[in-house]
Amino acid sequence: MIRNLKTGFVVCAVLLVAMGCATAPPPPPVVPAPVAQAPKSYVVLMENADGTVGRLAVSGAKGEVLLNQPRSGVDLDGTASTPYTVDENRINRDFGEALAAQPPLPVSFMLYYKAGGTVLTDESQALIPAILDAARNHPAPDVSVIGHTDTVGNTEANEKLGLQRAQSVAEIIKKAGLQVHDLTIASHGEKNLLVATPDNTPEPKNRRVEITVR
Amino acid sequence: MKTMTRFIIVLILLILTGSPAWAQDAIGFVKTVSGSAAVIDAGKPIKAQVGTPIKMGNTLNTGPKGAMGITFKDNTVMSFGPDTELTVDEYLYAPGKDDLKFGTSMSKGSLQVVSGVIAKLKPQSVTMKTPTGTIGIRGTRFLVKVEP
Repeated sequence: MIRNLKTGFVVCAVLLVAMGCATAPPPPPVVPAPVAQAPKSYVVLMENADGTVGRLAVSGAKGEVLLNQPRSGVDLDGTASTPYTVDENRINRDFGEALAAQPPLPVSFMLYYKAGGTVLTDESQALIPAILDAARNHPAPDVSVIGHTDTVGNTEANEKLGLQRAQSVAEIIKKAGLQVHDLTIASHGEKNLLVATPDNTPEPKNRRVEITVR
Repeated sequence: MKTMTRFIIVLILLILTGSPAWAQDAIGFVKTVSGSAAVIDAGKPIKAQVGTPIKMGNTLNTGPKGAMGITFKDNTVMSFGPDTELTVDEYLYAPGKDDLKFGTSMSKGSLQVVSGVIAKLKPQSVTMKTPTGTIGIRGTRFLVKVEP
């Protein structure tokens, strides 16, 4: 009993101290020094390797800015400020190391079949040495073999057909001696057309197997 | 015999639904490295080397003198300058099923992005968050600098 009383007393004391702490006046608020420097976060639209230029939509808390001119930039400061031109010096200063670390861009090859079988056309057969070369020129080459179909037939059947084509081409390039870090075989079915067509349209250029060396 | 079969089926289901880290496919690979660079997978940093796989959810970073280049499965190419950090929040690349998404968050540093097939097929599904704004990518090459 005495022991319990003592324990109770200790608990009360600890609680009182804790409550005392909790009700102590808060420390005076720290006022941050006003930041006068210009914002340093920004984004720059660049031309693609083929010379074309895409678009960027930059949105912040206060609106959205669309960039569509090469080398146009905008600050990432939450405001929808006016785009400006970013000169070569600033690009090299801020992005020199990032630009230098760019791996070789992926290279794609299109292979086509002779009608009604798994034999490549002569033109496609002739591309095989170039595919092997590309694999040698890319660090840790990972290669994808993707089968595509035209829009004849339904979506599910075309996904299967694309996969069958991809598998047969993968066998051909493996036999030719392709050395890779990773190989993926997949099908895009009729969802990634080279030539845009309506549904149920035969189009030889869409019936292809695309090999990409990354 | 029946109980045994059932037990095995349940076991297989448990393994599948547990979706362990090893079951996740690589969404890209490290292609170039200089200085120090890491791929952080489930909180564990792995030293980046040519050929290191990248998975969805990974954070990629470079040290004060590091640089790194990565090529993703959809042909997106990213190259990191020094002291840069980016997390791959979402990556879905199954055009046959119309599953396309590429969401990243960049917290600091300098980065070049050459966009790939996802941006070409479904531009509205490619976004990069920064602490002070979001970039929507409509099939292009661009540079981002983030000073936290």
